[in-house]
Parts: sequence; structure tokens; C-alpha cells
Amino acid sequence: MEYIIGIILLISFFGLAYYCIKGHNLMVGFLLITLLWTIIPLGGTLFVSQGFLESNPVLNFGKDNTLIAALNKIYQSAPEGWGTTLVNVCWGAWFGRVLMDTGIASTLIRKTVELGGDKPFVTVALLNTVTALIFTAMTGAGPVIAIGVIVLPILMSLGIPKSIALFTFMGSVAAGIYLNPVNFAQYRAFFVAPDQLADFNLGWYASHWGYAALIIMLISTTLLSAFYLKRAKTVHAWAAQTRGAASEQKNAPFYTLILPVVPVILKIWLDFSVIGGFVIAGFLALFLCGRMKGNFKENCQLVNKLYYDGVVDTAPLVGFLLTLPMFNAVAALASPYFKVILGNVMPRSEIVVCIVFAVLLCMGLFRGPMTLVGCGAATLGVLSNVASFSVPFLYAVFVIPTITVNIGCCITQSWVAWGLAYTKVESKDFLKLSIPNAYLTGILQYVAVFIMLGGLGATWFLK
Amino acid sequence: MTRQEFRSALKPITDGLFGKQNTRGYERPKFTVRPLEEMLKDLADIPVEEWYGYAFSREPLNGKFTDEQRRDWMRKSLDCGREYAQKVRKEYGTSDPVKLADSLSMSVSYPEVPDKTDRVLFAEYRIPNKICIYMDAVNKANKLLLEPQVLEILTEELDVCRLLLSHELFHFVEETYRQEIFTQTEKVRLWSLGFLHNDSIVIALSEIAAMGFAKELMGLSYSPYLMDVFLVYGYSPQEASGLYEEMMELSGRKNHNYKLI
Repeated sequence: MEYIIGIILLISFFGLAYYCIKGHNLMVGFLLITLLWTIIPLGGTLFVSQGFLESNPVLNFGKDNTLIAALNKIYQSAPEGWGTTLVNVCWGAWFGRVLMDTGIASTLIRKTVELGGDKPFVTVALLNTVTALIFTAMTGAGPVIAIGVIVLPILMSLGIPKSIALFTFMGSVAAGIYLNPVNFAQYRAFFVAPDQLADFNLGWYASHWGYAALIIMLISTTLLSAFYLKRAKTVHAWAAQTRGAASEQKNAPFYTLILPVVPVILKIWLDFSVIGGFVIAGFLALFLCGRMKGNFKENCQLVNKLYYDGVVDTAPLVGFLLTLPMFNAVAALASPYFKVILGNVMPRSEIVVCIVFAVLLCMGLFRGPMTLVGCGAATLGVLSNVASFSVPFLYAVFVIPTITVNIGCCITQSWVAWGLAYTKVESKDFLKLSIPNAYLTGILQYVAVFIMLGGLGATWFLK
Repeated sequence: MTRQEFRSALKPITDGLFGKQNTRGYERPKFTVRPLEEMLKDLADIPVEEWYGYAFSREPLNGKFTDEQRRDWMRKSLDCGREYAQKVRKEYGTSDPVKLADSLSMSVSYPEVPDKTDRVLFAEYRIPNKICIYMDAVNKANKLLLEPQVLEILTEELDVCRLLLSHELFHFVEETYRQEIFTQTEKVRLWSLGFLHNDSIVIALSEIAAMGFAKELMGLSYSPYLMDVFLVYGYSPQEASGLYEEMMELSGRKNHNYKLI
């Protein structure tokens, strides 16, 4: 009977993958699958063999492990546990808004262009580097769009075809996200609770793989852009850039241009609080750029407005991310059934996992079964429960399709969708450029994962 | 209950459950809508050379220049555009951009791509000889031209499609004469470090000259930069009003206090 239940669960997994690929609401999708994976495994205990039950204590309910406690863990403790991560997301979003409001982000972009001038490749390389640096600290669709409305017209005015301009910008945003403390905290929560495995922090992650991942993506994107540029024809366009943030050219003081990377540097070098870093750098930015010259009440209103705007930027993601911990917790109930079906099929060696994931990178597109911000959360639930890998290794294995493929190369990413509409690039034209990058970057990153994170000792395992 | 009615009844539920992921954009600034003819009248009154503030506002290197430089380059670029328009007219014996494009073996296409965003694309030139005129913007503008007051300001000389084509033709001419033309030979030094240095052309010069070229060919009395407001108005009167305000400010004029719509 456990085989039949396992197959039903597997079908529901593919159903979820289909649901995600079709672009339906992720929060509701994961809520539904959580409910389904609660009912089926628990209901299944009435029909499965005694031997199966005895070998899986998670499905044995009694005095020490009550059914109510198990349900509370899924629907209460799990999302509550993610609250600590959510706080980082909110402060990160506020900091992003501060960098935009003070003009620091736009000044950085403009000063960079003033170094490169009319040489498309030099300017692309410089802009990609600065964009990646900016997005080690900024997060969410709002900041990406705010920077995009500055960067994209500049690239297009240099005669760079719009599809290449969009591709290179989105790729460099994704490269920066590899070191973004907010994204790190978000994705880390998929693998371990915030208080578990304290040594797996941003500093450790960055020095052991994060820097390499960022550099690989940045260089691959830039070199591919150069290759595409060499084959492309220069384009001149007459377009009206309507009045917005991009047209206001206020320059932030030169010495404030270092502030975007201050929280990341503090976190990586000193393991200083991420939120503390955001607060220090954020208020420094506001004071040094003269945004706090009003009276106390006006200054409070400004800080509050920036916080409000920042939180709204991330709001669509928060609902989804608060249902994911429920799903991660319920996957433990379903795992005994998956072990029966997939126990002998799932890869158990690190080299095989790297190869399989590298081959299947395209399944990180369209919210498929490889990306954590899509159906990949379910794949992680299955994989981590039927085989045993170190947390840093598993983190890197899943974060590549999530950041490189989904965030950097997929048209279902909210800001990529915005960019397609803004530049009027056809989806297929963007994908023609981005999919080769997904594979080139992804394969190199998996090689780095195997070399740098393979064979970690028992201290890095959760069980 | 028909199948259609059943679907309609279920739609709110399915939208809630299976609604596509929404793309959150950033909030656009809000502008008060102004009457088109009043905006056009104000903009048509701005002398062509006084458009330098707006022309350079989209220039990536703008932060490095002084107002004096901008004004000087504006004048020289307009002269350059005018000079090449006269040269081409003399060489091919016509001012009609359609005939000129034909004589220059250009491949011109007129796709109907709808525009909805905060960057409205009018036309493109792709090296070596492809020009694309986006007709959605043109058609919307042509409808607005049916208003007698609008036509009176923009004059009978205006043919939006031909104006866009003229502008893009300049970029072809510029490519042809790139070794000698002002817009490609005028350079600024961005930085130098010993014997290392980086000199760059100024992209705005090319666009200004293209406007001067188009103005000369079409015989217009006002700057073609005005088209930015006129063509955007067809998509969003509010965004066009925002652009108008920006143009007026950048040309050192105050916005008139018309009765706002």
C-alpha cells in the first residue's frame, strides 16, 4: 500500500510542477500541496504495513509524538520560525529604498558610465560589475526596476540591441544576489532553521563558494554579452523616456558611493548583524545625502515612507515564502513514502548530484522543479529526505537553478517580465540569450560546488 | 446555465486560486493632465537651440558637461544635421524621406507594435540599412492631428511617419560619413592616466543632429523634440504632461497655468 501512496504523492508533485510552470499563484499552490501532503501520508497510515510504520517513527503517533503536535509543527512552528528571516527581508527592502531615494544607486551607475563612455563592451563590463555590487545589498522588484530605468536606456543609447541590454542587466542583478545577505537568509531557511548550524553564515558561505558563484556569473554574463555584441548590429532608437526617477539627475556625494556594500562587508568580515548594517548604512546615507534636513517629524515621515515602500516591494514574495516552511515541514511526513519509491533512484553521491543538476538546469526555468522559488522546494523536500548531503552542498546545488536560472534568466521572474515590457523585447529573443548563459554559468558553478563544497565533514550534516 | 455563464460564475474563484503571478512595477509619478494644444503651442514657441537642456538630459555623460558646452554642441549639431540634409537633398534631388530611403537602398518596415510602458518607442535604425517605424504611435498621433487646433500648431508640413523616417535616415548618413561628420569626430576625454586615456563621442550630438536633419527635410518651424510629447500623448496624456513640464523646466520656462483637465 505504501507504494501506491508513494505514487499518488509523486503524481501530486508533478501536478505542483505543472501548476508552477503555468505561472499560477505560488502561495496558494504550496498551501494546497501542504494540505494534500498532510492528508495523504496521515490517512495512509491506516492502510500501510506494520513493518513500514515501525521503521518510520515520524508516522507513529502516541504519547510522545501526538498528531496535534505534528500538525502544530507544520502549520504554526514552521512559518513562525521563518519570521526571523522575514525581518531581514523588510530591512533589506528599506535599505534598497534609501539607496534609491538618496540618489546613491543612480549616481553610482552614472559615474560608471562616465568611465566607459561610448565603448559598449567597456561600459557593459563596468555597469555589470557595479550592478552586481549594488544588488549584493538591494533586494526586490522595486529596486531592480528603479535601477533598470537608468541602466537600460543608457545601454540602448550606446547602440546596444535591447535584447542584449536586458540580458546583461538581468544577469548582473542575479550575480549580485549570490552575496545578498537577505537572499542568503531566505534560502538558508529552506535548509535549516535560523538557530541551527550557526557556522553556516554569510561569511563562511561567501568565502567557501559565494564569491566564486558571483564572479562566475558576472564574468560569464559579461563575456557572453561581448560575444553577442560582436555578432549584433548597432541600433539607434528614437524613443520618449517619460519623466520619472531616471530623469532626475541628482548626484550623491562621492564618499557615499561606498555605502551600498557596507552591510555586506560588515556581515562577511565581522559577522556583524545584517539589520544593524542596513540601519547604519541607511541612516548614514540619509544624513550624508542631505535627506534628513527637515524637522524631526518630517524626517520620521521620510524614514517611515521608505520603509513602507520597501515592504510593499517585497510583499508579493512574503506570502509565498511564509507558506514554504509549512511545505518543508510536511515533506518530512511524506518522505517515508518517497523513500519507498525513489530510495534507490535518487542520487546519493555528490558528483552525480552535480552532474544531474547541471544537465537539468533548464528545469529551473518557468518555476520548474529545480528552483527554490518554484516547485524546487518540493524537490528539495524529496531529495533531502531520501538521501543525505551536507547543508552547504545542498544549499549551493539548489541555489544555482534558483538564482542563475530562475532569477537571472527566466521570463517568469517579476522584474524580467517588467524588463521585457519596458524594452519591448520578445520573450523568445531574451531566452535565446539567457538560456546559454544559464548553462554556461550553471555548469561552471556546479564545478565550483563540487571542488569547494564537496566532501564536507559530519559537522555540516543536519542529521 | 450555459457553459459560458458557468465559466463566468467560476472565474472569480479560479482567478483567486490560480491567478497568474502579478508583476509589481514601481509607482510612476503622477502628473496633472494638460490640454494637448496648449502644450504643443508652448513647445512650438521654444527656439530650436534652446532645447539643449532636454536634448542632453538623456545623455549618459551629461554630468560631465557645463551648460556652455551643451549650448555650443547643440548649435553645432543642429548645423551638422541641416548641412547633411541639404547635401542629401542636393545629391538625390528630393526632400521626401520615403524616396530618399529608396534611393539609399534602405529596408524600411512599419510594424504595429503596441506600446504601453514608460518608454515609448517610435522608430529604430539598425546598422547597416534597416529602419523600423512603429506605426502604433504614428496612428495614434495621426488621429490627434485631425483636431484643427493641433494641426494649426503643428502645420500641414508635418507627416509623422516621414518625420520619424527622416530622423532615422540621418543615422544611416552618419554611418556613411562617420570619418568626417561632426557628431562622430567630436570627442570628450573621460579620463587619462599617464599615456592611457579614454575618449568618447557624445551620443546626444547624434540625436540632436538627427532632429536638425529631419527638421530641415520636412521644413518644420519647430523642434522635432516636440514629438516626444505629441506621440506619448496618444498613449498617456498624463505621461505626456509630465514630459511637457520637464521640457519647459529644462528650457528655462515656467509651466503655464492652464485650466487643467
